[in-house]
Amino acid sequence: MDYKTLDDVSLIARIAHADEGALDELYQRYSRLVFSVALHSLGEATLAEEVTQEVFLRIWKKAETYRASHAKVYTWIVAITRNRAIDILRQARRRPQIDPLPWVDQDSLKMHASEDIELEIEDAIQHQRLRAALAKLPKAQREALAYAFFGGFSHQEIADLLAQPLGTVKTRIRLAMQRLKQALQFGDEGDEPSTRT
Amino acid sequence: MNIEPNDHVTDWLPAYALGILSDAECEAVESHLPSCQACREELAAYARVVEALPAGMVLHIPPADLKDKVMQRIHRTAQAAPQKAERTWWRRLKDAFRPATTAWGWVSFVLVLFLAFGNLFAWQRLSALERRVSADLITIALQGTEVTPQATGLLVVSRDGRHGTLVVDGLPALDAVHQYQLWLIRDGERDSGGVFAVDTEGYGSLWIEAPQPLLEYSAFGITIEPAGGSAGPTGDKVLGGERSG
Repeated sequence: MDYKTLDDVSLIARIAHADEGALDELYQRYSRLVFSVALHSLGEATLAEEVTQEVFLRIWKKAETYRASHAKVYTWIVAITRNRAIDILRQARRRPQIDPLPWVDQDSLKMHASEDIELEIEDAIQHQRLRAALAKLPKAQREALAYAFFGGFSHQEIADLLAQPLGTVKTRIRLAMQRLKQALQFGDEGDEPSTRT
Repeated sequence: MNIEPNDHVTDWLPAYALGILSDAECEAVESHLPSCQACREELAAYARVVEALPAGMVLHIPPADLKDKVMQRIHRTAQAAPQKAERTWWRRLKDAFRPATTAWGWVSFVLVLFLAFGNLFAWQRLSALERRVSADLITIALQGTEVTPQATGLLVVSRDGRHGTLVVDGLPALDAVHQYQLWLIRDGERDSGGVFAVDTEGYGSLWIEAPQPLLEYSAFGITIEPAGGSAGPTGDKVLGGERSG
């Protein structure tokens, strides 16, 4: 069996039937993604390693619960990773070591494998648009977005961590998300002047 | 900020998509969404942003030995609790024919036992079962779709078409508010053959309740529907097949 020829959904189906080769291939595709999300959330490599192990162990145990009709495989994996990392962050009850500017504006990762080439191309275009839009966001907006996405912090918690007024933090996150949404919807056409806060 | 049920929640949707609203704020958004198409579409757009965000992050390479650690934990888990052990066809067939209270059901069950006796435990896939069922029963193989390429299914129908059982394999378990529904197709019209769930191993069975003899139907399909079933197919098709001849 050449697992590299299988798309993500087929790998998950095989993992659900205890196929270790399929898990090996899924690890090759997604370990960087999982480790990176965990590291950006927790700020410590040892914790990120632990989360990575737990995520793939959970995939092994819960593969049969995955539903392709509800989410892409990589979306499912990111959700598992983010939830686990945020849980650890909250249990630790200490100041998070989140990288305030973890965003990059260069092509970096093929996010998933699908049998649908058009879908892959569309995703690649969308991801390039997102990276370009992220690069153009004001630093303060990118920072607030990082605390929200990787840390799962509430507006008030982010306001406390950044020592900024609550309203300012809400505005930064909302404007950042609006700009990114426009970029995904319209590409460069959605690249309108932003309100800098 | 307090909102009334008819107020739009546009400003809250980015934070809702990020999962950073308080419980009370989430409840307010969720009470508004069912009645507002515009906000649902807006939320879907923000959800796509959140989904794409990992594509914009700096990537780090995990340590080279991390994969070995992952595989070791999986091996330890498998040794401690072999939860993924295949259920034997004995058990699956027994479950499938459990509702067989009619004479045909009993005869069919005995027939399957007879056929199975020589090599029961070698049967690992539904296709193998299909090859062995005798002329007293009619079988129709169902194939997975692009949604569930790993899924297989088999309809076993009595020669007179009055009774039938469905056995499926490799379908994902659904949440509490959804079930699988069998559709019986004739001249483009679809009758429901019943609803069913699968266990965590992906196996499920259904004693088919059909308004017409089953052999009058030319094709069969299974979709995901709200629990209790729908009047017609509304969800993703997960299995399908046609009766030959």
